[in-house]
Amino acid sequence: MNGASSQGGGNHLARTDQGGLYRELSRSNLPATKRWYAVVGLLLLVTLWGVGCFVYMMKVGMGVTGLNRPVMWGALIASFVFWIGLSHSGTLISAILRITNATWRAPILRGAEAMTAFALLVGGLFPLIHIGRNWRFYYMLPYPNSRQLWPNLRSPLMWDAVAINTYLLGSLTFLYFGMIPDLAIARDHSTGWRKKFYTVLALGFRGSHNEWRRYHVASTIFAILIIPVAVSVHSIVGWDFAMAKVPGWHSTIFAPYFVTGAIFSGLAGVVLVMAALRKVYRLERVLTVVQFENLGKLLCTMSLLWGYFYFAEFLTVWYNRNPEEWEVYRSYGGHFLPLWLSMVVCNFVIPFPLLCMRRVRRSIPALCFVSFLVVVGMYAERFLIVVTSLARRNDPFIWHNYFPTWVEFSILAGALAMFLLLYTVFAKLFPIMAVSDIQERLFQATDRVEGGTTVESLARPEASGEGEHG
Amino acid sequence: MSGVVVVGLFEGIEKAAGAGNALRALPLAEDRITTLSSVPLPDRSVSRDTRPIRFPRVTLIGWFAGALAGIALALGTYLLYPLITGGKAIVSVPPTLIITYEVAMLGALIGTLVAGFREMGLMRFRTKVIHDPRIHEGKILLCASVEPGDQARRAIEAMREAGGTEVRTEEGEL
Repeated sequence: MNGASSQGGGNHLARTDQGGLYRELSRSNLPATKRWYAVVGLLLLVTLWGVGCFVYMMKVGMGVTGLNRPVMWGALIASFVFWIGLSHSGTLISAILRITNATWRAPILRGAEAMTAFALLVGGLFPLIHIGRNWRFYYMLPYPNSRQLWPNLRSPLMWDAVAINTYLLGSLTFLYFGMIPDLAIARDHSTGWRKKFYTVLALGFRGSHNEWRRYHVASTIFAILIIPVAVSVHSIVGWDFAMAKVPGWHSTIFAPYFVTGAIFSGLAGVVLVMAALRKVYRLERVLTVVQFENLGKLLCTMSLLWGYFYFAEFLTVWYNRNPEEWEVYRSYGGHFLPLWLSMVVCNFVIPFPLLCMRRVRRSIPALCFVSFLVVVGMYAERFLIVVTSLARRNDPFIWHNYFPTWVEFSILAGALAMFLLLYTVFAKLFPIMAVSDIQERLFQATDRVEGGTTVESLARPEASGEGEHG
Repeated sequence: MSGVVVVGLFEGIEKAAGAGNALRALPLAEDRITTLSSVPLPDRSVSRDTRPIRFPRVTLIGWFAGALAGIALALGTYLLYPLITGGKAIVSVPPTLIITYEVAMLGALIGTLVAGFREMGLMRFRTKVIHDPRIHEGKILLCASVEPGDQARRAIEAMREAGGTEVRTEEGEL
């Protein structure tokens, strides 16, 4: 970084060429290359294949899935829980880091928040795909249909619909609001249609002193509001199961267990997304080992917490030997053994000891490997929760082992491709790095000589009364 | 604020702060001086935000409005379609609390967004506002809303003496 002087004398931003910094951070917004179109085309193709399979399922009926009595919730609902869980960490982590003023947060904010928004959009589609007779999805809306039926808000499934919509709207708002200063920077650096596009979206933000002060207060309020919403959403997803008198589901621990699992898988997702952004857009100087190491520490904590919750749940069933519940757990050693092993090994046995090692946390490929394992392990966990309990319920005469069909696998692949497609297009159109937050972090940082070494020192404006307001 | 605005570009916060002090000594009221910058500057470093920040109250109002809407939605649907579910009472407290909470949080989020935009003075697309894209190169644009004539001349001199470049008068809102 060289050249241009900036706000203040001794801070790091003063030594930074802000135009150069913007160009570096907005590489993703450069005109699309053939390679980009090829990737988007491929993702679009897989997405359309998934959509086609969904249409086929709608036309032929749910019989094309592997669902059969008593397993009437399968891979589609497991994917719903998984994607909603994956969405968890982005906004939640961003909000927690914003409130605690974690100094390393800036480079991961936008990417994580975008992950939440798109994972929610994708996850929210699964109940609609799963319900069968999909054209009647509007029965879930508070709108009286032809038979004067109103949605039954005493059903946990309706709590879900309300909570997910609140979280989706909140996350999109949080993402957009945080992006406004960056859209203003993009507006002032752009020409042509992009300038018009950013001009509209930036809403006339100019960076005046009054705007910045109110922007900070509003950001903090959003962060404070979004945390309990995020927690409630996955609690309610947990209650979808826990409210039913189904062995393996009916548990008081489910809400916190689901929240823990959601944050765990979400963190793994954030690591993978950040590593991909770093590699594709050459952001090595901004997304440093510090961010990955800290995410690794959080992942390690969540792995331990997940292990604790799972053991607590397992222990009570093992000791109690309630026959209905015990049959569910016994099936983990039979038909569902590969899934159970994937869950335990990928969520705890490998990640926890590895993440305790600083060397692993500081190695981005190793951390990506662990995160990938966690994503696999958490999907296995969701699948086990949804399917196994149903496969071993009620009368042993109707026990049935479920396996998804090609139609379900295609829809799952289509959903993954849709998520990646949305993310890729978002990164092309919008600032994927929180430029103004990174600049602010540089503005707060100065060098301080301590004996024989120079250390970075951070100023906290609110410590001197910056935060006062009427 | 409308009328004549004297603006000047400054290379660093110290120079801008010096100019701010000089403007205040003219004298010029605090609420007539502001900065445009690519990063938030600490309050009182160059200019001071004298307007109280009131929109958190709207967050609270939004929360209560959302809570009322949530209660209405829950109770309304119970009574419009009184289906007994799992042996529970038609009007059940726990589901009502959940729906009320979610809609209340949504109300608070929307309230914050709308009131935040309003208080930040955004969406003034048809109004001519003061702006200089060079703030994204690291410069600070110091702006002072002044009376045309003598006060404008003295403000320009003060900014120039403090090290401001391209000091000029512009018409528009701050």
